[in-house]
Amino acid sequence: MLSLQHISKYYQNGGNKNFVINDISLDIDEGEFVSIMGPSGSGKSTLLNIIGMLDEPTDGYHYFVNEAVHQLKDKQRSALYKKYIGFVFQAYHLIDELTVYENIETPLIYQDFKGAERKAMVADMLDRFQIVGKKDLFPAQLSGGQQQLVGIARALIAKPKLLLADEPTGNLNSKQGEEIMELFRKLNKEDGVTIIQVTHSEKNAEYGSRIINLLDGRIESSKKF
Amino acid sequence: MIENYFKIAWRNIIRRRGYSVINIAGLSVGIAACLLIFVVIKYELSFDTFQPGYKNIYHLVTRINQSDDVTYNPGVVAPASEALRLDFPQAKVAALEANYGSQLSVPANNSNAGSDKKFTENLGVVFIEPQFFDIFKWTWLDGQPSVLNEPDMVVLDKSTATKYFGDWKNAMGKILKMDNLLTLKVAGIVDDAPNNSDFPLKIMVSYISWKEHPRDYNYVYNWHATNSAHEVYLQLPANTSISKMDVQLKSFSVKHFDNQNAIIRTLFLQPLAALHFDTRFSNTLGDHLTSMATLRTLSFIGLLIIIMAAINFINLSTAQSVGRSKEVGIRKVLGSNRSQLIIQVIGETTIIVGGAVILAVIIAKAALPYLINIANVPQDIGIFNLGCLLFLIGIAISVILLSGLYPALIISGFKPVLALKNKITAASVGGIPLRRTLVVAQFAISQLLIIGTIVAVNQMDYVNKADLGFNKDAILIIPGYTDSISLQKMNGFKQQLLQNSQVKAVSFISDPPSSENGWGTNFNFNNSIKDRDFTAFLKLADADYFKTFGLKFVAGKSYDVSDTMRQAVVNETMMHKLGVIHPQDMIGKTIRIGGLSWSTITGVVADFKTTSLREAIRPIIIFPRKTYEAEAAIKIQTHDLKGTVAAIQKLWEGTYPEYAYNAYFLDDTIAKFYQQENQLALVYKIFAGIAIFISCLGLYGLVSFMAVQRTKEVGIRKVLGASVSSIVYLFSKEFAILILISFVIAVPVAWYIMASWLRNFVYRIHLSPWVFISAIIISIVIAWLTVGYKAIKAALANPVKSLRSE
Ligand SMILES: Nc1ncnc2c1ncn2[C@@H]1O[C@H](COP(=O)(O)OP(=O)(O)OP(=O)(O)O)[C@@H](O)[C@H]1O
Ligand SMILES: [Mg+2]
Repeated sequence: MLSLQHISKYYQNGGNKNFVINDISLDIDEGEFVSIMGPSGSGKSTLLNIIGMLDEPTDGYHYFVNEAVHQLKDKQRSALYKKYIGFVFQAYHLIDELTVYENIETPLIYQDFKGAERKAMVADMLDRFQIVGKKDLFPAQLSGGQQQLVGIARALIAKPKLLLADEPTGNLNSKQGEEIMELFRKLNKEDGVTIIQVTHSEKNAEYGSRIINLLDGRIESSKKF
Repeated sequence: MIENYFKIAWRNIIRRRGYSVINIAGLSVGIAACLLIFVVIKYELSFDTFQPGYKNIYHLVTRINQSDDVTYNPGVVAPASEALRLDFPQAKVAALEANYGSQLSVPANNSNAGSDKKFTENLGVVFIEPQFFDIFKWTWLDGQPSVLNEPDMVVLDKSTATKYFGDWKNAMGKILKMDNLLTLKVAGIVDDAPNNSDFPLKIMVSYISWKEHPRDYNYVYNWHATNSAHEVYLQLPANTSISKMDVQLKSFSVKHFDNQNAIIRTLFLQPLAALHFDTRFSNTLGDHLTSMATLRTLSFIGLLIIIMAAINFINLSTAQSVGRSKEVGIRKVLGSNRSQLIIQVIGETTIIVGGAVILAVIIAKAALPYLINIANVPQDIGIFNLGCLLFLIGIAISVILLSGLYPALIISGFKPVLALKNKITAASVGGIPLRRTLVVAQFAISQLLIIGTIVAVNQMDYVNKADLGFNKDAILIIPGYTDSISLQKMNGFKQQLLQNSQVKAVSFISDPPSSENGWGTNFNFNNSIKDRDFTAFLKLADADYFKTFGLKFVAGKSYDVSDTMRQAVVNETMMHKLGVIHPQDMIGKTIRIGGLSWSTITGVVADFKTTSLREAIRPIIIFPRKTYEAEAAIKIQTHDLKGTVAAIQKLWEGTYPEYAYNAYFLDDTIAKFYQQENQLALVYKIFAGIAIFISCLGLYGLVSFMAVQRTKEVGIRKVLGASVSSIVYLFSKEFAILILISFVIAVPVAWYIMASWLRNFVYRIHLSPWVFISAIIISIVIAWLTVGYKAIKAALANPVKSLRSE
């Protein structure tokens, strides 16, 4: 599904190059569930953002669904992104001014779905995550776990092939975290969604089919189950 | 999608209530001010344009070159119209003679003149040729222009006919007396001229009636006497070249005028489209002219105000955009592209601007009745019309683009990763230099208007308090008439007045020392038959003139009591222009005007202001000539003014029962010289106030924003031991610097504009540095009052609390 070849990212610091990602090569197939681990500052988020095309590497080749991302223009890249990728954040990143319903609906608006279609899709999502009763509340009126459910529902609404999650359970208690992980496993198994998550928890990492360990911007180890 | 944007925009506005209120308040006041300015300008520019073919209509005017002096006269000599018809057969030509101040009376059924219904009309009374209506379209409700071929016929406009006869339909065929000299028959009724006409003609007497009463109405048929009240209008075929026409008129002038004695008169065309704005010609048939400079100043002020309001908007939205970075980041991650974000921000701007426009209309509507105080607009002028609607749409669109586009570009350009990490700071939106520039621009505009206000107010104060060289206080002027019966009653009236112990002096005069009418003439001096090369201005009055107005003699004394010109008094300017150094040397010299006989100079009076302070003092000859001394000037004691005036009125009405009493105080008319300038001073005051208001709103918004942004910084500083005053200083320093920079920009611009305005006055204040210094002091005080509250509040905040909230 995607392939990174000799990807690097560094920041110029005086005369030095501070490498955040240092010559990483990585292939991920469709249907995989990958967990990325590593100490703080090791470049996990940066790697995920590069995969999600929110950030650009300084060097290297990046292929996604057979497109050479490093050669695409901004517009084409964001079209590709819109079509295939959903993002979940540790800090949820819901829009405070919008209701639950509207937050979930927003990606559809940007992808030019018609009104009736949007309604049906959002209703379906609310149902599936059992948050119908909360649809008119604003994010500030929800608990952390509920907000993350909304964040995941929003990431999935447009039926992405690839779900990227940066510490999705980082702000949740262990029970809430477990529920989210179960949900991810189900999505991966039943709907065939490729998932890449960043996590600090060994336990959560084991939900994945592969664990990648980063250290100082390099892949230290990678094991498949 | 659009609906979604508006929903979000609305919520954003509600959530950031404070900023929205500041934005909307500033903007709506700005737009309301601009709308009112637009109404005034639109009205002024519309003058006479309703006349079909107004582009082919011209006013024939006279240019008089005299040594190196050029004057313009709106009138032409009486024989010109006939000669034009002969020499320019392609032109339609019409002449009229305006009468400023006539009494019209509707005869009572008994033959007692005292019980006539009397009306005084200062404007709109003319002797007019029927051809006028071939050139100008008028709506005739009854009768037709040809009735004006007959002598003693009068055509009234609808409202005058209604005023005189109860109902205009009753007016036809009725009798009307004019100045108790003419007996006229109402032979036609026309609809009222629109407000935006320079021809508000009310009483149109056939032109031939003027010719038949040459003595009463000063009808002179020769090529020497240019009469400013005798106006000629032409309509030329549409394809006529005006420059060629002016060349032909030049040779026409050379052919007909006897241009000797260094006075050269030339006729030329003033397009009707330019008439309303041509202030070279001081009098007009209508009630006012408007200089293009005034309209330009107004537009300029309007533009400045709207720019200020837009600046607030840009400032606050870019400042706020920092707080919106998270939302924008998320939207980008969710797939929004740049143009969609731009549309969203523009949408929010549109809602705010839309709200401001609606509020502006309400404000403008409420302010409309006060507009007549600063502009010559009619009472019933409206803002609900197509022009205003288009203007508002235009303003709204430009403000939306001006103030929405920049924040939209900034916000939509955020990098999503940075935005999500909350790494967008006020500095990284690149807004700080821009925002500083905008604040400087705002303050520069405010200071410009503050300086304008100080200068205009000071100058008008100077003008109002200026020593005119005579005493204008408590002098009652009663316009009277010089028909033979009235003249006979003059002396008796004066004696009776003087019996009243409250009356200090009485003089019969042609006009007071300061007066806008100027009766100029060529003259001879010291028995030389050669005309002097400058115009002398005449004041005709009896020998009590000097005592009544408190004029001081520098040499000699008043002339003796006389009904005709035998002796005369001149002013110092006259003496200097004649090259005489010692006033004493003027005494006994002779002077002669027009066709009169030589007179001896008996005295020289100290200079007094002969017109408004816009103009230099004129060379004046004062002499008696009873038949021109129509006005009574009465100097009275100031205590029990009311009772004295009432007694004088009673006496006057008893003496002249056939005339209406129209007395006024001299100082009121002198104040009226400066109506336009006083209005301008008021405009400056109002708009400086609005500018200050808008810039304070903006400043307040910005400081509130800064206070929020720097809560943490202030908290840390306080924990580290900073004092309240050092923190207040932190907030104030930046604004003080910005005000200083704006001052440096505003001063030269303000100096240039106000110095050129002051040049309208020959007598004027000096632009002292204090004007500018007070402007900056006012700005700093006002800015500090705005900033200070927030700064102190931020400084006093509990540091523990502000740190915890982070
Ligand atoms: N703009 C920047 N300039 C310089 N260095 C940066 C910049 N942005 C990120 N970095 C560095 O990149 C490194 C990797 O950051 P990244 O957010 O990917 O780490 P992470 O592994 O996700 O850490 P965490 O577990 O704490 O989330 C960090 O050391 C950080 O200091
Ligand atoms: Mg991270």
